[in-house]
Amino acid sequence: MINSKFAVRKAAVLGAGVMGAQIAAHLINANVETLLFELPAEQGDPNANVFKAVENLKKQEPAPLSIPARAASIQPANYGRNLEWLRDCDIVIEAIAERMDWKTELYKKIAPHLGEHTIFASNTSGLSINRLAQAFPENLRHRFCGIHFFNPPRYMHLVELIACEESDAAMLDDLEKFLVTYLGKGVIRAKDTPNFIANRIGIFSTLATIHHASAFNLGFDLVDALTGPLIGRPKSATFRTSDVVGLDILAHVIETMRDTLPDDPWHPYYAVPGWLQALINSGALGQKSKRGIYQKVGKEIHVLDLATQKYRLSAATVDDGTKELLKHKNPAARFAGLRTSHDPQAQFLWALFRDLFHYCAVHLAAIADNARDLDFAMRWGFGWNQGPFEIWQAAGWEEVTGWINEDIAAGKSMSATPLPDWVQEMGQGVNRTVNRDIQGVHRAHGSYAPVPNIFRPRSELAVYRRQLFPDRLLSEEIQYGETIFETDAVRMWHTVDGAGGKGDDGIAILSFKSKMHTVGSDVLDGVQEAIDEAERNWRALVIWQTEPPFSAGANLQKATERLKSGEPPSTLSVLAKKLKKTAQSAVLKAARSLNLADALMAGKLAEVEAMVAQFQQTSQDLRYSAIPTVAAVDGLALGGGCEFVMHCDRAVATMESYIGLVEAGVGLLPAGGGCKELALRASQDTKDGDPFPLLKNYFQGVATAQLGKSAEHAKELGYLRRADQVVMNRFELLYIAKAQALALAEAGYRPPLRARNISVAGSTGIATIKGMLVNMLEGNFISEHDYLIGSKIAHVMCGGDLTPGSLVDENWFLELERAAFIELLATEKTQARVEHTLKTGKPLRN
Amino acid sequence: MTKQTQDAYIVAAVRTPVGKAPRGMFKTVRPDDMLAHVLKAAMAQCEGLDPAAIDDVITGCAMPEAEQGMNVARIGLLLAGLPDSVPGMTINRFCASGLQAVALAADRIRLGEADVMIGAGTESMSMVPMTGNKMSLDPAIFARHENVAIAYGMGITGEKVAQRWQVSREAQDEFAVTSHARALEAIGMGEFRQEIAPYPVEEKRPDLAAHEIRSVSVLRDTDEGPRPGTNPQTLATLRPVFAAGGSVTAGNSSQMSDGAGAVILASEAALKRFNLTPIGRFMGFAVAGVPPEIMGIGPIKAIPKALKQVGLNQDDLDWIELNEAFAAQSLAVINDLGLDRAKVNPLGGAIALGHPLGATGAIRVATLLHGLRRHNQKYGMVTMCVGTGMGAAGVFEAL
Repeated sequence: MINSKFAVRKAAVLGAGVMGAQIAAHLINANVETLLFELPAEQGDPNANVFKAVENLKKQEPAPLSIPARAASIQPANYGRNLEWLRDCDIVIEAIAERMDWKTELYKKIAPHLGEHTIFASNTSGLSINRLAQAFPENLRHRFCGIHFFNPPRYMHLVELIACEESDAAMLDDLEKFLVTYLGKGVIRAKDTPNFIANRIGIFSTLATIHHASAFNLGFDLVDALTGPLIGRPKSATFRTSDVVGLDILAHVIETMRDTLPDDPWHPYYAVPGWLQALINSGALGQKSKRGIYQKVGKEIHVLDLATQKYRLSAATVDDGTKELLKHKNPAARFAGLRTSHDPQAQFLWALFRDLFHYCAVHLAAIADNARDLDFAMRWGFGWNQGPFEIWQAAGWEEVTGWINEDIAAGKSMSATPLPDWVQEMGQGVNRTVNRDIQGVHRAHGSYAPVPNIFRPRSELAVYRRQLFPDRLLSEEIQYGETIFETDAVRMWHTVDGAGGKGDDGIAILSFKSKMHTVGSDVLDGVQEAIDEAERNWRALVIWQTEPPFSAGANLQKATERLKSGEPPSTLSVLAKKLKKTAQSAVLKAARSLNLADALMAGKLAEVEAMVAQFQQTSQDLRYSAIPTVAAVDGLALGGGCEFVMHCDRAVATMESYIGLVEAGVGLLPAGGGCKELALRASQDTKDGDPFPLLKNYFQGVATAQLGKSAEHAKELGYLRRADQVVMNRFELLYIAKAQALALAEAGYRPPLRARNISVAGSTGIATIKGMLVNMLEGNFISEHDYLIGSKIAHVMCGGDLTPGSLVDENWFLELERAAFIELLATEKTQARVEHTLKTGKPLRN
Repeated sequence: MTKQTQDAYIVAAVRTPVGKAPRGMFKTVRPDDMLAHVLKAAMAQCEGLDPAAIDDVITGCAMPEAEQGMNVARIGLLLAGLPDSVPGMTINRFCASGLQAVALAADRIRLGEADVMIGAGTESMSMVPMTGNKMSLDPAIFARHENVAIAYGMGITGEKVAQRWQVSREAQDEFAVTSHARALEAIGMGEFRQEIAPYPVEEKRPDLAAHEIRSVSVLRDTDEGPRPGTNPQTLATLRPVFAAGGSVTAGNSSQMSDGAGAVILASEAALKRFNLTPIGRFMGFAVAGVPPEIMGIGPIKAIPKALKQVGLNQDDLDWIELNEAFAAQSLAVINDLGLDRAKVNPLGGAIALGHPLGATGAIRVATLLHGLRRHNQKYGMVTMCVGTGMGAAGVFEAL
């Protein structure tokens, strides 16, 4: 019997290799007590092999752990002594080397030690789950299945769940719930066929790419330029990905397909190309051996040239013609163009897609339940923007089908196998002139499942009710609830019954419409209006974006453009009307220190200052409004975005939230309440009355524009608070944020009392920080301008040139923030930094 | 020679081995315990000396706070079992603290106001870091540009000396290699055996499974710093830590360390009264100030001043213990004064042996006196540069 209230309290991972250790790390990220097993070491501490793997986790990039300190929570274990510990584990994940004989031996050894309810799952990427089940005692097989993570498991959304014949259906549902909510994964049920879904299609795609690259005589670097972001795939494209995965691993997976799929129509292509074997034989295994298809030489990337058998500078560029074709907004035109072009680069791409579509159509029934599963597997497991069927459907199902058939008939396709009959049917029965979008495998009521020939709706497992807006296929339209009000910059809305849960929970949602969800005056107006509206008619306000990032920060474009423009400033009194409270001008103070003789400039700076003051006011409103405010964070929350997060009553952030006050990177400082908030926290959290030790750490984060590497890291840096909630699955973010908002409202929410006695570090704090800065300046680690920025940040965060221990209020800090912001913005070097970053996306050092 | 009422003789000079900080063999050993240890060891070498006759215990410490705060001299002597009638004071001249303590102790005797004195030093850089637990600078430092160098870290001053005295990266690395080679050879020859009082490190660690405390005791008798196999190639791979494009690296700087040393001094009357055998005679001591941003050149001013006081020429010195704060400043001092490199740190220096700030002076007095005696030499000096711009030098005669 599987427990009806299933919970994973403790897990074990068998095998501390690359995948095993990273899976253990991710379980630890999810607060699951985890044992990591390896063979006992022959000498010294029997757990030495595990220690080594755990040490590696701390150094690996991208980081498998949310914070390195969590490595200590992985409990080392070995098969020699600790097998009895398995009894307490709710799930045991096997992730040892892909050898049937080793796995069989291990299964026999551990089976007697598993607990009564322990689920046992293999992370095999290619071996048959049913064959592995044979190695497991018959009476335990109902608790066995395949659970296939993708590398790196913290970041890749996909987990394939593979049942063996005996797997208990309820157990699989429990496991799916655990993987989705607790580990944050996207689960696809795969059939027990070699390499399952994503790797089967992905490896075929690589093999087809190799085949056509050779046929069209295109170099590896050119192929990667063609098969990367230009066609909606990751930058590492085809061959760089192979180097990262490991060329030996790639060869192994190809060989698995060769050995296990003898009747596959594409079987002749399941072979390791000679050049690949030669690389492997010479020890060039890709990234892990520092040489593969590519090689890093100093700062240059070199690529293997098959003609000369030597590495040369990687410098391929895609033809303008092909680029133009790919830029076409209309996918139908894009594909028609690729197919009819005489450019070999375009022909290569058409051939690649043609054979990919062909392969997916022929194999869909055998490997997956339905077309949606296959498409999501490729998106979540390989980082493609769209799955193969989505692309096909968007390009026009019937036309593309016709072209594939023509190419098959002409002997151009890699295999002569005809497309399955259902492909033809998908293009029929619909009036294509009315709506061509509803041709194809993805329809409003579901996606095509060849067996039993229906359109399969989405899973009805309870766990998916937590996903108010799940990942959607491109053809799916989403209506985000009902609008409360909408401007050019923001939309305030609420969920309605059916799509997105209950409509009457009284929680209002605010979403930004700006690019990267940056914050300009229009967004600030929107937030303030939303707070007013929420105070009048709603129980709480959640700030949530329909897609990441949460916010890339203040829109600096307008501020810098304003300073450059010749247009005279509007009077301060006009601008002040925008604000609830007229901010005292810091510009007059700044003008003195800047020798601002130029009245025009002073006026324009005053205008910018009014914008900054509006930002501060908005932050304060988020904190002190009569209703609870919740920031629902996913992805980047930079600068002003981070300040909003800090001022909401509660933040709910996905693990993959990257939060930081990065203003220093563009020569500015946080002036939307960020410095104030950190100073306030340092004063409130200090145990001995001295805010400086905490403040010094906060200063370092701000001055170096440090960005949190996870939500947990943001807690360490002080941008998230201990009570803020970390969420594993971003598709559950809104559900959880609303629940938090509701809980705050239900608790009889009152805003906190205004902070009136903030103890400052004052002049001594500033001097001590300047002591650190002057050493970096003297050591040429920072520039004079960096020194100025750092000094200003220190000045603001320490509360200015006050006697240490003086007590001030929030406005004191806010005014310092504004004055310092304006002073920095008025410098040429800061303006150059802002412009450079807006133009290139990269920081400028000056 | 300066006029003095009576001479001050050294009758015992001992030290702990020096451990690496902050993760070395003494990382869990308290500096007050280390001080008590060397006081006991020094007393053990003076059979017949009545502890109640000790007039004062002066202890140098560069960061006298926390574990080494609260007048660590008095705490250490009481923990060492000296009678409570023996007073103690802690003094601070940064890296010269230990030498200054010995000089002050000698001066009390030379003035005729004391007959038996102890000069000592103790420092745990594992427990109290370089700038103390809470660095706090005076805003006035930044009010006048001339004072900014007060805020400079020692590394920056090392870089400035390297630039101004044109000491190349290669020369610094080569100097560091020599320091390690000499130290390793000295350890191999047992050169430090007489001066080191082996320290039993005791740790209590939890056995979580058995829920028991496990006591571990290890006797430490050898300096931890010297690295076998240190060569110019490996040192060349280290990156400058204090300045981008600089030349001062972790490999050619002194090591952060933990350790303690103690020196017992006695007047001629006390020698007779307690039947003590002197191993050396204190001759003189001088300090001098230099600009803070080039603090490393301090000895260039202090050495001639001290020699003049005692009436010796540079060439009269057989042995110079020059604290290697940085290879850059050591070479600047050596080259500027024309010191004989063979006589400078013949057993290696702080780059290899370590530099427990306030303890170093007392420790190197022990090295110098035992070394001079073993090698049948006569005059020696202990000298060092001092943070915020000073130099100190003490002159000793072996007996």
